[in-house]
Amino acid sequence: MNAVQHRLVPENAQAVASVLASCDRASEKVQIVGGGTLSGMGYPPERVDVTLSTAALTGIVANERSDLVIAAQAGTPIRDIAVLLAAQSQFVPFDAPRAQYATLGGTLAAGWVGPRRHRYGRVRDYLIGSTIVLADGTIARAGGMVVKNVAGYDMSRLYAGSFGTLGVLVQANLKTIPLPPHARLFVARLPERTRDRAIAQLATLRVEPAAAFWVDGFHALEGEDGDEGRVVVLMEGSDALLERATLELRSSLGRAGVPETHIVDAGARESFERIVDAYIACLGERSVTYRLYPPADAAPGRALELRELTHRFGLRSETIVDVMNGDVALRVSDLDAHAFGSKIEQFDDALHAVEPTAQVVASEHPSRQHLRVWGAPPASIEHMRALKARFDPKRTLNPGCFIGGI
Amino acid sequence: MIVERPPKAMAMLRERLVEALGNDAVKTAPEDLAVYAFDAYTDGGLPSAVVLPSSTRDVSAIVKVARDCGEAIVARGAGTGLCGGAVPIAGGIVISFARMNRVLEIDERNRRARVQPGLINLALSREVANRGLFYAPDPSSQQISTIGGNIATNAGGPHCLSYGTTINHVLGLEIVDSAGDVFETSIEGAGYDLTAAFVGSEGTLGIVTSAWVRLMALPESVRVWVAAFDDIESASEAVSAIIAAGILPTALEMMDAVITKVVEAAFHAGYPTDAAAVLLVENAGFDEDVEASESSIQKIVSAHGVRSWRSARSQSERDALWAGRKSAAGATGRIAPNYYTQDVCVPRSRLPEALHAVGEAARGNGITVGNVFHAGDGNLHPLLMYDRRDRKQVAAVVETGNQILQCAIDLGGTISGEHGIGWEKREAMTRVYSTADLAAMARVRDVFDPNRMLNPEKIFPAGMRCPEVTPP
Repeated sequence: MNAVQHRLVPENAQAVASVLASCDRASEKVQIVGGGTLSGMGYPPERVDVTLSTAALTGIVANERSDLVIAAQAGTPIRDIAVLLAAQSQFVPFDAPRAQYATLGGTLAAGWVGPRRHRYGRVRDYLIGSTIVLADGTIARAGGMVVKNVAGYDMSRLYAGSFGTLGVLVQANLKTIPLPPHARLFVARLPERTRDRAIAQLATLRVEPAAAFWVDGFHALEGEDGDEGRVVVLMEGSDALLERATLELRSSLGRAGVPETHIVDAGARESFERIVDAYIACLGERSVTYRLYPPADAAPGRALELRELTHRFGLRSETIVDVMNGDVALRVSDLDAHAFGSKIEQFDDALHAVEPTAQVVASEHPSRQHLRVWGAPPASIEHMRALKARFDPKRTLNPGCFIGGI
Repeated sequence: MIVERPPKAMAMLRERLVEALGNDAVKTAPEDLAVYAFDAYTDGGLPSAVVLPSSTRDVSAIVKVARDCGEAIVARGAGTGLCGGAVPIAGGIVISFARMNRVLEIDERNRRARVQPGLINLALSREVANRGLFYAPDPSSQQISTIGGNIATNAGGPHCLSYGTTINHVLGLEIVDSAGDVFETSIEGAGYDLTAAFVGSEGTLGIVTSAWVRLMALPESVRVWVAAFDDIESASEAVSAIIAAGILPTALEMMDAVITKVVEAAFHAGYPTDAAAVLLVENAGFDEDVEASESSIQKIVSAHGVRSWRSARSQSERDALWAGRKSAAGATGRIAPNYYTQDVCVPRSRLPEALHAVGEAARGNGITVGNVFHAGDGNLHPLLMYDRRDRKQVAAVVETGNQILQCAIDLGGTISGEHGIGWEKREAMTRVYSTADLAAMARVRDVFDPNRMLNPEKIFPAGMRCPEVTPP
């Protein structure tokens, strides 16, 4: 890394374009930063000459309330957008951790997927248009402000999840949907030999949850673990629907041998957000959180196997299993930072031997760069490298941060 | 356009294809080729050959032969496209997926299915209905159009108002690239979202040979209502008001009197024929929510002067209303020998202005227009009636279509909501995108189809040559 790094905070697309054009010409490497909430993802850049922050690219560009469409600059915090939308009874299911800091651009660029996607879809499915600055300083727009648009390739969706390696997102246009009027959170401790039945019940509820988790550990969150952890369920909808959902859920869990289901009404959504936050919560330098995406029916079993594996290395394991989507967050830690450092790389090898695509989503551990943070590259990696080469031939943007050394 | 190729080269091409696929899967007789020279919009040129692969390996072999022989490739589903997307323009090999039309795997618990591209859209929903599941994208052509074709155009349909277009329902793809190699994409994996790049790319980036698609649980409750209005403005204002009130029904369709009259004459679907405009509203979901939405929607349409409001009482009434809606375009044969469907999308609050402009454009050019469209999405489909034997009428239709396109752009809309760009609208791309915007798209094409052999002459404007699209 160079001794002298410049931190630039451009205020508009033009300014971003001139920064990138001059860096690209001078073969300077640019690291792009948003709110920093997902800085535990990806590799550190191979080299940084300029850090480009989107902190000054903030604000709502257009709020077409009666069209259910909103456009904002990339550095706008997710929380600001969510609060504005909620005031007009709308929302976008960002489900981004630490939403007060997370930015729109960062959440999109990292391809973050949240627990409510099985019900409402992914954030990228709400993306109807974008403005991006490419590595050479070209400002390119895609899509627009209409909710259906098939004019040309869907470039916005390609930029989403590209980890800032194809360009710098400066604006995103999103469609919104009506905010469900009420939310209710359910928490139940799982006594011995209830876990499998309880999870099976959650997956087959007639009133489908907005989100449902089997949590093991993460004691800062709502509820306490029973012998086999706890389940946390978010229901969203009208009052009448929530009443039915409550009856159904309680009797389903009751049949599974779960004696008590605790209800959180006031602050249900806030409690849900704390769970989302937990996906990236670190225990100082002595934890790494992985995320993997097995099919929904296989997820609980995988989580148990990984717990075994973690224990074999003398490490602590905590898991959040997203029952609806099939999505396991595994936080591996040790009470002692030194002990953790001596085990984590070997654990990483062992984990990827059984779960080749497991990704690191959070870690403050200094040796993070020695882990397989993206998991094994997919079969299409050569096409991905070719895309990178075509969009950013001099590897100006976030060099080496993304999968396969992109 | 007719492209003559030396007979020797044609014989060689045929020989190579037969060698790879067998005699039965290769068609080169003029009468066979003629069938593949057009889609539901236009006719292009005759293909050099038509092939009917049975497997991914076959498709891979076809691409390799095409490369060796310098032939373009046009992948084709059912040919129901409305913008010349699946039509060969200057020869080339047309790949028909008629033999790759199976459901390969149903994963009920994880609500997904793997299908071949030639599978008919509706066949998938029929196949999984007994498990309480369905495949949501429902273009009006769904009885004949294929999932591969739907993926190529990112097809919509009435229910994408709440369920989203095809892109929201594709989980992963198996693709044969322009080198003939096979690779897979998945929306769950790390790396660029190649699935998103391929859906809607109209066969210009690669050839989809199978797809994992999302299945949804059939809703426990479905209600369909018909609201009749005395003028089209009130109906369109009611649509904007429903959306503005934060109500997103599963479908919100509009038909004007021109359409309801032909639909009723043809199908007796149950629409009033004396109203200037009719809204077909469907809401599906949980009993409680669907029930609550009825009174909310009814209040809004009442405030906009609804003349009558009717709830379909049975499944068969609902089916009849939907069948009428989805067959509306075909029914216009009763009033004109031909019709041209325009497809534009405007911000939903601009719907009243857009409809007004459509009426003005048609009147100004002496063309009868029927409107049947996805009002809730702001996605207009004016059907322009004409007789293709009358050159003046053809010219008037072209001009009307063009004016509608411009009006959509002026209102902040786009030149295609769900049908695609294809051959028809490629020149109009420069009206909504700058050179830099198009150049960014061309970079993707450079990667996946550097030699422009996959569905050439589509999407990108004709004048757009590589030196121009490559920034210095």
